[in-house]
Amino acid sequence: MTPELQCNCNDVMGSMLVFIDNEIDDSAQFNAIAFHLQDCPTCREAVEFERTQLNLIRSLLTRSCFETAPTELHDRIHSQLSALEAQIIAQQGFVAQTEIFTQYSRTEITVDGETQIIETTHEIRRDFPF
Amino acid sequence: MERINELEAGGVATGELVRVDREKESVAQRTKRFERDALQYTDQLYAAALRYTKNSADAQDLVQDTYAKAFTSFHQFEPGTNLRAWMYRILTTTFINSYRKAQRSPKLSDGDLTDADLFASASHTSNLGKSAEVEALENLPDSDIKRALQEIPEEFRIAVYLVDVEGFSYKEVAEIVGVPAGTVMSRLHRGRKQLREKLAEYARELGYGAPVQKNGGES
Repeated sequence: MTPELQCNCNDVMGSMLVFIDNEIDDSAQFNAIAFHLQDCPTCREAVEFERTQLNLIRSLLTRSCFETAPTELHDRIHSQLSALEAQIIAQQGFVAQTEIFTQYSRTEITVDGETQIIETTHEIRRDFPF
Repeated sequence: MERINELEAGGVATGELVRVDREKESVAQRTKRFERDALQYTDQLYAAALRYTKNSADAQDLVQDTYAKAFTSFHQFEPGTNLRAWMYRILTTTFINSYRKAQRSPKLSDGDLTDADLFASASHTSNLGKSAEVEALENLPDSDIKRALQEIPEEFRIAVYLVDVEGFSYKEVAEIVGVPAGTVMSRLHRGRKQLREKLAEYARELGYGAPVQKNGGES
């Protein structure tokens, strides 16, 4: 089966790193590379070499960069969280009631010499801050 | 007005649905949820912070600041989306904006290197035989690998770390760092190339493969 898109060795070399990272979004491009690799031992070998190198570097990095955070850091984060939580609760206690805004309007309508007054009151309730 | 997020929360087994109603949640409940979901990343974030700042004192401060920021904006975090990536974004932007000022290295241009250029240089950086190179690299001590990573430019180091150690995709790293995915790709590939060159150099210093060429080696 021939893919809708064809590519040559140069195209494969050009996209090799992205291909190995599995980051080629365009499926036509991906298929073209995969198809080319089936038929081209040179490119296949180059891809395999790069992949092996990359996996090696990744495992070296992962091995050497592994760290356990010091106990002191865990303690600092915990006490900081308690302090921040207390601060937020304190702020809430201070402003945290429902704020009520009252809007008042008065309209006068005069029909045939008779005046009517319409008064309205709107109450807007807003919970603050959360 | 009630808004309920019925999504998988981070750290919970797939398939288990957790309801988080952020509008009704009390501060104490939110703190509990934060502790349950976010604190599990302390070791990972500390490891990344060490690679960013290069020293333990700054790394601890950076992680502590990251948790403070994350907690105070946790009500804005959409439950069920990627909390780990969100934490790394706070860590990375906090580092870029505050911590690196004192230790800033010269700004690098990302340049317009094509993949073909990168590949052409990447595969010919070492004159070790293939299996000899693998063996040499595997025998390098952890301290040499960390040193090699520290020596590559900061932007490259962050991209390599986030993709090759943390396993984030180009797109995720683009969001974490705040640059386009193409820039991430370029930094990553150049960073890997430099890293590989340094590691091969250290391996040669340790006596593996061909002798070190101090001057006039291939470039």
